[in-house]
Amino acid sequence: MAEFGADVIRVESRRRPDSLRASAAGWVPPDYDPEIRQDTMAAQNFASAGKRSIGLEIDSPDGYAVFAKLVAASDVFITNLSADVLPRLKISYEAIRAIKPDIIYISMTAFGDSGPYRSYRTWGQNLSAISGIDRMIGWPDRDPVQVGFAYPDYVSAQAGTVGILAALERRDQTGQGCHIELPQYHMALACITPAIVEFGLRATSPTHNGNRHVGRAPHGVYPSRGEDRWVAISVRDDEMWSGLSGAEGLEGLVADDRFRTIAGRELHQTELDERVAAWTSARTDWEAAAELQQAGVAAAPVLDCWDLLGDAQLAARDFFRVLPSARFGAELVFGPAVVLSDTPSALKRAAPALGEHSRDILRDVLDLDWPEIDGLIASGTVHAMARDDVRLERPYLHWIDKVMRLPWPKAGFDPARLFMERLDEETASLNAVSETAVPIEAGSP
Amino acid sequence: MLSGVRVLDLGGGEALSYAGRMFADLGADVILVEPPDGGPARRVPPLVMTPVGEVSTHFVAMAAGKRSVTLALSSPQGRELLRRLVERVDVVLSTEPVGRLEALGLGYEDLRQINPRLVFTSVTPFGRSGPRRRWLGSDLVGWAVSGALPSVGDADRAPLAPAGGLADMTSAMNASVGTLVALRVRRRTGMGQMVDISQQEAVLSVSMEASPAYVMDTGAWQERRGKRRATPPMGHYATKDGAVTIVAFTPWQWDALAEWISDETGITEVTLDLFKGTPADRAPYVEAIDAWVESLTMRYSKQAFAEEAQRRGIPSTPVNSAADLFEDPHLRATGGWTEIDGGALGPLRFPVPPLRFDGQTSTVGAVPALGAHNRAVFVDELGLTEEDLQPPVPPPPPPPPFM
Repeated sequence: MAEFGADVIRVESRRRPDSLRASAAGWVPPDYDPEIRQDTMAAQNFASAGKRSIGLEIDSPDGYAVFAKLVAASDVFITNLSADVLPRLKISYEAIRAIKPDIIYISMTAFGDSGPYRSYRTWGQNLSAISGIDRMIGWPDRDPVQVGFAYPDYVSAQAGTVGILAALERRDQTGQGCHIELPQYHMALACITPAIVEFGLRATSPTHNGNRHVGRAPHGVYPSRGEDRWVAISVRDDEMWSGLSGAEGLEGLVADDRFRTIAGRELHQTELDERVAAWTSARTDWEAAAELQQAGVAAAPVLDCWDLLGDAQLAARDFFRVLPSARFGAELVFGPAVVLSDTPSALKRAAPALGEHSRDILRDVLDLDWPEIDGLIASGTVHAMARDDVRLERPYLHWIDKVMRLPWPKAGFDPARLFMERLDEETASLNAVSETAVPIEAGSP
Repeated sequence: MLSGVRVLDLGGGEALSYAGRMFADLGADVILVEPPDGGPARRVPPLVMTPVGEVSTHFVAMAAGKRSVTLALSSPQGRELLRRLVERVDVVLSTEPVGRLEALGLGYEDLRQINPRLVFTSVTPFGRSGPRRRWLGSDLVGWAVSGALPSVGDADRAPLAPAGGLADMTSAMNASVGTLVALRVRRRTGMGQMVDISQQEAVLSVSMEASPAYVMDTGAWQERRGKRRATPPMGHYATKDGAVTIVAFTPWQWDALAEWISDETGITEVTLDLFKGTPADRAPYVEAIDAWVESLTMRYSKQAFAEEAQRRGIPSTPVNSAADLFEDPHLRATGGWTEIDGGALGPLRFPVPPLRFDGQTSTVGAVPALGAHNRAVFVDELGLTEEDLQPPVPPPPPPPPFM
């Protein structure tokens, strides 16, 4: 929502921080000032870039009063707190609607607000296991593997956005607000509807089978030259297979009658995979992928996270952005994955520090005067950004301008060198170089 | 929610199928345009043999609720028919590679001349600009270029991609978001625009843990560790009858688990301060911690362990198969399933649409037979005569792949 210009206000508790605030970047010493530590997870740029943060304890009467005024000024209310917490904090749909009758309210709980799992606590990885996603990944002769990233979290956020936008459409036409419920369990199940249809039709559960795909071959990840380098190949049908003869060195394979149809390729799949692997092994991942693409076959190198930084395609589409950040000066933010031709994303800032915008929000959204604002902060109801004189540098972002040719603010210091020196000295805390705070050139490259 | 919105789904690749399905669930009129012998979605494997022939599970899952019309884009009449449809719709969904529709005179620039309010939503493997804009892709290729795979699988073998079309799913979700944003912009400007979704970027947008900054931050280098992560406890742990997942991410979740292990197994050192804090803090002790955790999980069945863990505030769930899901007590108790009209296949069990509005679950429509809505769309709505239908819409061809 923030990507496309909405003013998204993140209401954050300091007493009960969320998971990304409760954690910290691995390079920050555990005993470092916790109020600064909580601003350090780079993952926050993934989840909260462009949002404004207000530090607010809504479980006090004064805090709730401020919160209610924020609700009254909002179009949309988003929560994924668990179902049993919502009434306790007086943020159930009924409570919020009483404040703002035409609110679009979306609650993204893990399992919905009824049923035996309603109070279950989960991370995305738990949902991907319970919903059957994990069970389909792994080698057939071994246990299934864990996806390792929280797919259901992210796909639910995408679906939630669809729900909000659809409800806003209806509100524009009818004036009606809306209560949207999105149990993430149900979203994860929706993602594997084909597997559920399969079970319904023939009572077999799709199981883990490496990178193979029933009805498509070759379909896999094959070794290429170099250490731990791989190329993914997926031949969709017999027509794409015959195109493979255009790749030098594969003519013989394609000419082999046993492999002409998908039935034959599946029957002789072990040999097929070995021969494809022999071909890919003689090439780099990029050479193999480019030759295959030239021949009309879907293929690509398996990129690791560092490859992404130098990826020419992502760079050409301005996928990575450097945006201003109060805690870090500037931050690397993943791009808009939703690209609109005429109204492109207009993200202005990286993720906020906790409470970074508390004063601004109370002033420009609620129209409070400064003494009132100071009073709320003094009483601990509202938190401003802690130690806003302290600016940190990520110890690795000095790569950015070298690897990606993105503009990077410089003021005569090398964050990596500073960081290493500090490590050498084994100083207990990272004293940030706040004196050298840099004027940031706002905006994307 | 979206009644009154008309969507033309040009079929093609799998990376956009769910967008049309979701719009249909939300009440939009979604017309699936297929060639006279059936669209490629009807042939996406796995194909399951049924009494009415081979059926694509992908097609059944993704076409439910859409209306099917047939026209041949290879013929001038078919192209003219498509243009007439475009005049009347709000959205076109396309997975055609860059250049293909343009070559037929049906690119976005052509279509916006016919209908300036049109939102044209494109999903391609790498997006419509950049050096790889013409590269072919697939769900597997989408995962390959996401940066995520080097940490999925076992160390001694090739990286693994998640199965089941999840890269396609997330591309379709981003396409849905972009389409709805464009419709809202149109409300203000009166003009449509192009939504350009790159599958690579879509998968990146659901792979935070593969981003370089995240990896640097957590110190959890990308490596394939099979069923668990390097930041314990995180992953699958064996029980008496299968596996459970445990993710003790916050300090208090770890504390609860450590106390449970200590009480029940007598391994008291697990509660030492040394191991407290975040998963990254525990990374140096991953082997010991995983062994301690498993000494606890092995005392339970997967469902019983998850229940007790949850009672203690520890995020844990069983690792389910599709068959397990059909037995899941929560889905039974909460209306997690819905029955849809599978056409010749009879009634089919589907997961309930995940978005519920004002307590109402959307209804999933029927799975359309090939060309089932030709008459309704071409004759009743476009005003064509029966004869007009003849050249571009031939009678049903010999055995189509599905119904």
